[in-house]
Amino acid sequence: MSNDTRFHDIKDLPSTHLLGSGTPMCAGCGGLQAVSQIYDVLGPNTIFVNAAGCMTLLSVYPFTPFRGSWLYTSMGSAPAGAQGVRDALDILRDRGKIEASEDMQVVVLTGDGSAYGMGLSATSGAIDRGLDFIYLCYDNEGYGNTGQQTSAATPHAARTSTSTGAAGYPGFKKDLFSIWVANGASYVATVIGTEPLDLARKIEKAAKLDGPRMILSLAPCPTGWDYDPKDSAEIGRLAVKTGVWPLKEFADGEVTHNKKPRKRVPVVEYLERQGRFAHLFEPERQDRVLADIQSKVDRYWDAVGS
Amino acid sequence: MYRIRFHGRGGQGIKTASRILGSALFAEGYEVQDAPRYGAERRGAPIFAYVRADRAPVYERGIIDHPDLVVVTDESLVQVPAAAVMTGLCDRSVLVIASAAEPELWQQRLGVTCRVLTLPPGPGEGAALMGAASVGAAAKLIGQISAANLEGAIRAELEGLPSDVIERNVGRALESFDSFESHAGCVSEGEALTRASATPPAWVELEVEPTSISAPAIRGEATSEQVQTGLWRTMRPVIDDSLCNHCSWICSTLCPDAAIDVGSDREPIIDYEHCKGCLLCVAVCPSHAIVVEPERAVDEHRSDP
Ligand SMILES: Cc1ncc(C[n+]2csc(CCOP(=O)(O)OP(=O)(O)O)c2C)c(N)n1
Ligand code: SF4
Ligand code: SF4
Ligand code: SF4
Ligand SMILES: [Mg+2]
Repeated sequence: MSNDTRFHDIKDLPSTHLLGSGTPMCAGCGGLQAVSQIYDVLGPNTIFVNAAGCMTLLSVYPFTPFRGSWLYTSMGSAPAGAQGVRDALDILRDRGKIEASEDMQVVVLTGDGSAYGMGLSATSGAIDRGLDFIYLCYDNEGYGNTGQQTSAATPHAARTSTSTGAAGYPGFKKDLFSIWVANGASYVATVIGTEPLDLARKIEKAAKLDGPRMILSLAPCPTGWDYDPKDSAEIGRLAVKTGVWPLKEFADGEVTHNKKPRKRVPVVEYLERQGRFAHLFEPERQDRVLADIQSKVDRYWDAVGS
Repeated sequence: MYRIRFHGRGGQGIKTASRILGSALFAEGYEVQDAPRYGAERRGAPIFAYVRADRAPVYERGIIDHPDLVVVTDESLVQVPAAAVMTGLCDRSVLVIASAAEPELWQQRLGVTCRVLTLPPGPGEGAALMGAASVGAAAKLIGQISAANLEGAIRAELEGLPSDVIERNVGRALESFDSFESHAGCVSEGEALTRASATPPAWVELEVEPTSISAPAIRGEATSEQVQTGLWRTMRPVIDDSLCNHCSWICSTLCPDAAIDVGSDREPIIDYEHCKGCLLCVAVCPSHAIVVEPERAVDEHRSDP
């Protein structure tokens, strides 16, 4: 991948930023961190179609951090909105009303509540139709905007405002990456804002391809995960170092892991920094639950072969 | 009627404080109304909440313009015009500010003649318990609430939280309640508002307009930059030029708010109008070149904002 990229080194990353500041996202928002970096790589010729969630507060009239158009949809229907925008652009091109150089990248911006749940049906339909779009999910593992209720992306044992019991959320995080691969996407990649070089290369690559493409970004969320905003970067880095958030991509029929943590840090180091897992450590340490979480991560990487 | 306003920042438990005070007054036989007001519903953003309490049914509505008591849990809010902390204070109002400074100093700084009291933060105490401390102070200053009803209201409001959290809040509120003994009951009830004394709101006449105007498109780019999210900050990251090695712009890339630009000499420049003070840049700088200063200290040392 390194041969056909303009991002060889962290020094090649953009030093001015496209996304305007002054947004109402929380201080230390890991989702905004990723979106800002992604926008820098995609450039101003991007139209965002935003499923209801935290990020819809980015554009509240008369304020917008974007340099171009933005469309608000309900939680379940962003891919349908993207279809309409794509079709309109195609018609304008066919009629010679816009030049090929004026064409735009259509990007769905969505939270995990939509991406893993309410929006899945519309998403699957868009992939079936081979819609030419990028689907960008910032995954803060819950319904952040409404007070961090459990979503299908919530990890096992996390406390949320709807999983308040002693054991936290009893279910397991859904594997959205594999769902997109199985559904016939042309490109699928996981990213995180604390790995900006890996992120920039993947966005660059996605932008050059056609068809349904997904970028799935883990989005450390100080408000919903209950930690101090300054720890956002540390938690993001630990998600990768512990192997909880594998950085990988699917292209040309193959899944590649871009960063195999050579010596994985124990998952407790990731969990213990977040209030949503505090009940696994206090008042008594839940050794069995912690061992289960660790063994699930180990099994994943054993299968990858690292 | 008692009219009380709490001002603080998202995350300090301001809404909870107003609910607890309302419940405690209700337990004392008052008719009560309490409501929070958010701007940006985010941790760190200025918010306020208000309580009305009367022996008779409360028909008054809306934001309290003539407070008998104002409690401010974050002193940096006082100079934030949008927070409107000082609105409607008069000679008989009582102003409580969470601050280690002397009340007289605040009276001087603000140029007010009303009674000013300070609520010094406990040793090593973060923002988390300020809500509890302020509700304890308010209850004592009003002078109509027993310690038992205050405690009962806190326990009812925090029910379901871990017991150590509840105990810490109860303890902090009661400690604060006791510490204001010498000012017990200094808050007096304000007059009932008459129709004539009410200032009519500054209505703006809106005509029925075509959709292109009433649901307009934003043609400007990045207009969000007109919003000064720098006001959310309580702590300020400051780059120490002697330590910064103009690295590969790590701080600028990782700042979630695009609030660090890189200058022509590859030097990072923090945009204090928009930096929200998350301090993520401080945590990631490999050369430890970014130091943290409290906003207050910054105001005292420097003339320019
Ligand atoms: C159909 C529907 N149900 C509920 C809502 C209310 N709602 C708005 S944002 C939101 C949370 C969305 O969660 P997620 O997609 O994870 O985005 P986040 O808020 O975490 O950014 C909810 C439930 C809605 N807008 N539409
Ligand atoms: S709740 Fe989480 S995802 Fe939403 S704006 Fe705040 S930090 Fe970001
Ligand atoms: S991360 Fe630190 S060393 Fe690098 S540019 Fe920023 S302040 Fe300077
Ligand atoms: S504290 Fe640092 S990282 Fe956070 S908003 Fe300000 S400049 Fe950006
Ligand atoms: Mg979410």
